[in-house]
Amino acid sequence: MATLAPPQDRPPRSWPFLGWVRGHLEGLGAFSQLTGAAFRNMFARPFYGGDVFLQMDSIGVGSLPIVILTGFFTGAVMALQLADTLAQYGQIERTGQLVALSLVRELGPVLTGLMVAGRNAAGMASELGSMVVTEQVDAMRALGTDPMKKLVTPRLLATVVMMFFLVILADLCGLLGGFLYATLSLGLDARQYWYTALQSLGSSDLSQGLIKPVIFGVIVAAVGCYYGMSARGGTRGVGRATTTSVVSASVLIILTDFLISRVLIGFFGS
Amino acid sequence: MEIAFDAVSIGFATVPVLEDISFRVHRGETKVMLGESGAGKSVALKLALGLLRPDAGKVEVLGETVSAMPESDLYELRRRIGIVFQESALFDWLSVRGNVAYRLEEEGRLDAAAIEARVRVCLEAVELEDAIDKMPAELSGGMRRRVSIARALATEPEIMLYDSPTGGLDPITATNIMQQIIKLRDVNRVTALLVSHRLQDGFLMATQRWDPEHNALRPATDGDASTSFLVLHNHRVVFDGSARHLLAAADPYLQRFLKG
Repeated sequence: MATLAPPQDRPPRSWPFLGWVRGHLEGLGAFSQLTGAAFRNMFARPFYGGDVFLQMDSIGVGSLPIVILTGFFTGAVMALQLADTLAQYGQIERTGQLVALSLVRELGPVLTGLMVAGRNAAGMASELGSMVVTEQVDAMRALGTDPMKKLVTPRLLATVVMMFFLVILADLCGLLGGFLYATLSLGLDARQYWYTALQSLGSSDLSQGLIKPVIFGVIVAAVGCYYGMSARGGTRGVGRATTTSVVSASVLIILTDFLISRVLIGFFGS
Repeated sequence: MEIAFDAVSIGFATVPVLEDISFRVHRGETKVMLGESGAGKSVALKLALGLLRPDAGKVEVLGETVSAMPESDLYELRRRIGIVFQESALFDWLSVRGNVAYRLEEEGRLDAAAIEARVRVCLEAVELEDAIDKMPAELSGGMRRRVSIARALATEPEIMLYDSPTGGLDPITATNIMQQIIKLRDVNRVTALLVSHRLQDGFLMATQRWDPEHNALRPATDGDASTSFLVLHNHRVVFDGSARHLLAAADPYLQRFLKG
């Protein structure tokens, strides 16, 4: 199972379980420090606005194809899978409603988060890890630049902002995919599909659908940057950091999704 | 005194790297740090720059206790120290111009024209003016090393730290690099701490001077008072002195080290 323990500095083997626990606690501490510093640096000078826009382009625009495809076919398969069951109960006209609720509440944020984690957490870990093992990060510090401000904070901010819009786009593409299947294959009325889809969305659904991307964005960027900045051991270490970052980010997204859903349903109601 | 290590020790994951090492580098002096691979030479350079913190002891550079300063305070001090990393550590997304100008652009104290002029002066010092628009991937190993030297010179540092500047280079390129370093020492009068695996680099520093009239090296006529040697072995300092004393050392390890 992927962990937050840094790949280097393994504890002695004499107390394996305690060493394992200690390693993971240290990793969690280091991860928390990195994330905290990245947030603090958003309000500290210098602020690397140019780097934020570069990362937004790389993370946001670069993820468009995969997010559009994921959203579209998720919506279409939702309509496909739901059609038979709904037809048995004479509720086929609710296809739009169920596609919309599933996408906005869960599938849009989670699947987009997983796609972005696979693409960008890995990218951040490998890019930053390569910089660490080739001493470019040390060179940055030697030349008077805080690598946290220059490298981590722009990535965190860019990922959070772009995740928000990517999820909205994924939801829209998913509704479109569901719409095309529902109207072309199931013969549903187009206006009925969109009416039931949009009318079913309440404040609870929208809050879940818009809060989750922000938190998932933090997870993707923080995990990718953490593993990148703590990479050791040359190219092998970079490879290990890249793989671990994707697995860790994906697991955290799924775990956090449950926690967020539980909290938000308790707050806004279902 | 420009650099002072006092009883410095550091280790990683319970493995000691440096144990109780102490030495001084005086203004205008070049100290050549020698030792086998893994002796902790690169770690000593990083300690001098505050990139690492010792587990014990004190590191002072230019009158500041680097080992106790917060990172934010070190940024201004590092302006006075230049470092050349073992693998050059050029920023591969920036051109040669971008790399050399990096610190000046980050600081924002000079306008674009002044930065450009300074970049060209630094590249001229390492004879790489023609490579100003190239990317690091287009450069040979020796060229990358020279660009790294130019980048370190951008803020006219008082101290230069060299981490194996000739490592992995062919003999001709290595000699060329050492000529650049000796030229910087004799023209810019910087204090230097030079880490090397090659004995000949140290003895070249000790026995040669830069002749600006002929634009070449000439044998030193004033002895080797400005160049001293520090040898590390088993995490400790086993020698600290002049080239003459190193050659006359009776220690069996030093004799074996000198024979190669």
